[in-house]
Amino acid sequence: MVQRLKEVDVVIVGVGMVGSIVAKELAAAGYKVVGLERGEARFTVPEFQSPAVHDELRFDIRKALMQDNTREPVTFRNASSETALPVRRWESFLPGTGLGGSMVHWNGQTYRFQANDFELATRTKERYGKNFLDKDVTIQDWGVTYAELEPHYDRFEYLLGTSGKAGNIKGEIQPGGDPHESPRSREYPTPPQKEHFQGALFRKAATSLGYHPFPQPSSNLSQPYTNPEGVKLNACVFCGFCERYACEHYAKSTPQTVILPVLLANSNFELRTGCQVQRINLDSSKKKATGVTYIDTAGREFEQPASLVITASFALNNVRMLLLSGIDKPYNPQSGTGVVGRNYAYQTMSSVAAFFDQDVIINPFMASGASGTLINDFAGDNFDHSGLGFIGGAFIGAVNTNGRPIQYHPVPPGTPAWGQGWKEAVVKHYNHTVMFSLHGSSVSTRQNYLDLDPTYRDAWGQPLLRMTFDFPQNDLKMAAYVTAKGVEIGKAMGAKLVAGAPRKAPYTTTVYQTTHNTGGTVMGNDPRTSVVNRYLQSWDVPNVFVIGASAYPQNASWNPTDTLGALTYWAIDALKNRYLKNPGRLVSA
Amino acid sequence: MVFLLALGASVIVAAASPKAGPESAKRPGPAAAVICQSCHGANGEGAPAAKIPRLAGQSADYLDKQLRDYASGARSNEVMQNFAKPLSEADRAEVAAYFASLTAPSIAPNPRATDSQLARGRQLAQQGSEAERVQACDNCHGPDGSGVPRSAPYLAGQSADYLAAELQSWREGKRKNDAGKLMSSVVQRLNDADVSAVSAYFSSLAAP
Repeated sequence: MVQRLKEVDVVIVGVGMVGSIVAKELAAAGYKVVGLERGEARFTVPEFQSPAVHDELRFDIRKALMQDNTREPVTFRNASSETALPVRRWESFLPGTGLGGSMVHWNGQTYRFQANDFELATRTKERYGKNFLDKDVTIQDWGVTYAELEPHYDRFEYLLGTSGKAGNIKGEIQPGGDPHESPRSREYPTPPQKEHFQGALFRKAATSLGYHPFPQPSSNLSQPYTNPEGVKLNACVFCGFCERYACEHYAKSTPQTVILPVLLANSNFELRTGCQVQRINLDSSKKKATGVTYIDTAGREFEQPASLVITASFALNNVRMLLLSGIDKPYNPQSGTGVVGRNYAYQTMSSVAAFFDQDVIINPFMASGASGTLINDFAGDNFDHSGLGFIGGAFIGAVNTNGRPIQYHPVPPGTPAWGQGWKEAVVKHYNHTVMFSLHGSSVSTRQNYLDLDPTYRDAWGQPLLRMTFDFPQNDLKMAAYVTAKGVEIGKAMGAKLVAGAPRKAPYTTTVYQTTHNTGGTVMGNDPRTSVVNRYLQSWDVPNVFVIGASAYPQNASWNPTDTLGALTYWAIDALKNRYLKNPGRLVSA
Repeated sequence: MVFLLALGASVIVAAASPKAGPESAKRPGPAAAVICQSCHGANGEGAPAAKIPRLAGQSADYLDKQLRDYASGARSNEVMQNFAKPLSEADRAEVAAYFASLTAPSIAPNPRATDSQLARGRQLAQQGSEAERVQACDNCHGPDGSGVPRSAPYLAGQSADYLAAELQSWREGKRKNDAGKLMSSVVQRLNDADVSAVSAYFSSLAAP
């Protein structure tokens, strides 16, 4: 029997970064807000304390902080001609679960996208002509500009206390920062983290080649910080356990360390954990949401009525929630019509390994998740793509995040994969190698998309999300180009051997790449090619807002979190100042 | 005045020294160490009641840094500054390595510490406190406060009065020779009772 609960103003699906921020703002504005989190409540103390929190087997290998894929996996195939199978062991990407969401296990890399990224289709056409792109590419403008988002980026970064060096303040280039960045209104809240030795080597070489190295913007803080919410964070100790782990020091910016203490103190907010939302309920017109239905850990089913429903889950789960609820039309790759699941994109990660002599001591374990040095000279549209046959690019950097013993053992190509030869190579190279990350953009295409799997279901009997994805030709060309640039830098660093590994097709879910899954509920100005309008409001059901990286029409050359934080505050502004005062469509279709 | 107090303390040490382990003291130390031993004990066992810390088996890098910081004034203590200043870089390293190599028996537990105080201290040490947003001391200082060289000293078996005085000093901003203000930001969130509790707890543990 379904138990019907008392109606509230707002129900939020997922209490991660987006859910926490939205809930805090709306509860503070006087609305009754319920946050439904499928995972457990967890806090820095006691859940994230050492020595348990540094258990590499538990967190790196067994993925203790991730979505439980024995109950709720994703199915995957490379092409729609294949049959998708469930991903029973996360490797390629790592969606989190539990209070605080995926941000609990992030690395803290806090980049803005550039102005160009938000108007990618228009600017690509302007600069390179309308026939420049491969026919299958479906990139589009976001419907919001960098200038509109700038104050919201600023607010989010000051919430986190991000440590960095500005490269462009109100149009003035700042020495030591990234000269390619779009103008920011002021300096970062805290100065950059200390540069490690590999970063220093990279900086020197990149400078000698005429590039523009700068310190990685990090939300593992360089110094103690009190954010505008009054929450205090500590300085990072460079333990090298950020990604896949929670931080035991209150030094990594996560919902737990920047906003949850304020949110949980507000009696207008109620957190319910262990709540698996099954669907958003619609009235008979199918144009109005009436709330959500969820099942708790005891298997009881509840209906939570609400005037406003906000899905704030991980990107993939936002898409699935809309598909399960029958909101808007699912994308059909044959006809190219429909919108939900359309323009799924990823990140095109390549790498370069620079192997040094034994007298160059790298100490890779002395790092935070974002204490590297990098260049943006080959990211985005910062270089001329004429004649190259692709758009996009990658940041290139000595941004290795750890030297953890089970996960980190760089060896040169040709090394045996196991046995004595492998062991000897690990011993020889562990402390004398610099690994670069080449963090590449990802275009959306007609054939990459998300839908519901026709065969496989989750532990509650609901169809799984099906991912159909392979690397587009555009991105493979980009990966080859930027990797060659990375190899040149490795050589200029004086490495004895430099091995470039441009990302190659086919995409596989069995090798870790990145958790930057984007798209599927993309934002835009045209309901035929977007699920939500520029304020992240559903075109189809206007009292549903979908906030997540699922809104990105394609993915840029940088980590997506900062942009998601900016979009969150942007949407909150529209919610607080316009929608909640007069509910209805914020943009007419 | 401080100097005189310190001299007074050395008398207490001399009286207590027969209890210290005899073996390590027989090893000849560097000449400069003799001065240290007059207060910190022949085996580096310290003088708990006089807030003079144990040095035996402490991380050499940590001891070396403290001597450097006393000399430069980065860690302020008039007595220690007077002793540390004349030492050359090599002297410092030698003295630090010598005390790092010593062993000394643990001191007797402080009878003033109550069970509830020790329990609270243990909670802060092993688990931290979400209410105060303070992480576990053991995160950096190692399991049971056994120290994580190079930079995090052991706390187990250390003088409770010394630990409490240092925590106060971090909190008041008098001591600030840590990286990233790590100690001061933590201690600012502890009240006097918590400072006493955590000091008593670490003091009650066997020194590593």
